[in-house]
Amino acid sequence: MPKTVLITDDTAFMRMTLKNVIQKNGYIVVGEAADGEEAVAKYLELRPDLVTMDITMPKMDGITAIKEIMRHDPNARIIVCSAMGQKPMVIEALNAGAKDFLVKPFDADRVIEALRKAAP
Amino acid sequence: MERLDFLRELGNIGIGHATTALSEMLQGKLLRLVVPDARILPFEEAAAYIGGLDEIVAGIFMQISGDVTGHMAFILPIESARTLVELLTQRHGTDEEIFDELGRSALEEIGNIMITSYLNALSALTDLVMSPSIPALAIDMAGAVWESVLAGALVDEAVTIIRTDFSADGVDIGGNIVLLPDEEEFQKIEHALGLEDF
Amino acid sequence: MQEVFVNMGEIRALARTGVLTTVGLGSCVGVALYDSVAQVGVMGHVFLPTARRRNETVDMPGKYADTAIPALIDEAVRLGAQKRRLWAKLAGGANLFPNLTTSNGNIGSQNIKAVLENLALHDIPVVGQDVSGSHGRKMRFFVEDGRVTVTAIGKEPIDI
Repeated sequence: MPKTVLITDDTAFMRMTLKNVIQKNGYIVVGEAADGEEAVAKYLELRPDLVTMDITMPKMDGITAIKEIMRHDPNARIIVCSAMGQKPMVIEALNAGAKDFLVKPFDADRVIEALRKAAP
Repeated sequence: MERLDFLRELGNIGIGHATTALSEMLQGKLLRLVVPDARILPFEEAAAYIGGLDEIVAGIFMQISGDVTGHMAFILPIESARTLVELLTQRHGTDEEIFDELGRSALEEIGNIMITSYLNALSALTDLVMSPSIPALAIDMAGAVWESVLAGALVDEAVTIIRTDFSADGVDIGGNIVLLPDEEEFQKIEHALGLEDF
Repeated sequence: MQEVFVNMGEIRALARTGVLTTVGLGSCVGVALYDSVAQVGVMGHVFLPTARRRNETVDMPGKYADTAIPALIDEAVRLGAQKRRLWAKLAGGANLFPNLTTSNGNIGSQNIKAVLENLALHDIPVVGQDVSGSHGRKMRFFVEDGRVTVTAIGKEPIDI
């Protein structure tokens, strides 16, 4: 069974780019979220195998969204895809439960590698 | 070290990372990076610095919070913005078609990645956190964009400008990255780097 | 015809003929004061409502609404205008980045408010304005008859 993915990013362009890369590699993108609140709601509704999470977003940032999702499902597999790659932020995201942290811009291989590692 | 040398060096590091980031977004299409120029302009000269006040530009504006606070902007001529969006989205068309919701969001993301890469480089150097806000985009007269950036950052005295130009695949793409730290904030960076106050 | 450009924070004046022009008004407010009898026009390009450092002497009064309005009046009077005959026209005060939630708030609307308050303080009526919104403007002020034309990208020019 192909794995399902929820994409979270506030820019439509980045959601489209991620979606193209992820779908080309045999995953099914089941949903897209434009902010943290939407990501939490869609996670609970869709229960995807994997989540990509941006950090800087309106309404609810990615760190808070990771914590919320992990609170509901400690087995959630979340990969951060953010431009903000400063050390304290990376540590905070990983402590909150993220499985990996990709700093934008990233190449397609790196995204797929992270997805494979998080959900073998 | 003179303050301007220090700024130029910060600019070098930041812009080096920012343009590398952009190059990666364009799958290595970026070829040439012109050495950044750093200067501190009195307010009167800053007004005219951007040139061609009624030419159309795209401006991406972000606020910085965290250990160091301030604002950053990435301002580029409309032709450069168009070239970047065409390269990234693989589409061609009229300005209205290119700068639709997807095109605008691509521009916001370019600005976001360049500015944040810049901040990431400074952060790695200083161990200070510089968190960018969500990017905001305006496509309008250069003068209107520029003064809105300066006013938004409450810069009413000297303006610190770090500027770079670059080109991709023989197509000229130029742009200004402008860092506008809050007045006292440079001292924090200098202090973190073990430099004396100037 | 002579065209004089008014940059951020500047104040410029003309008598009888010529155009005072402000290019690229974003969050700034362009202020035109006119005495039709004396045919004297002054224009300011107001950047912020007030100086952030109160204790400093302001080297460019045109930068701030609270210092620009008295300076504009003085300049008009110096060229032969009478204060009681002056009226004002305004353009600008936009918010080009409405998506940005900055701690400094909407500077454009703060500028409009400050300019209106300071004009009221000096009993100068506002007879025309094209303000707010989220787009830049170009403002041209014809000193011969006090006409003010505002242009914006993708919009028809308007007289205010």
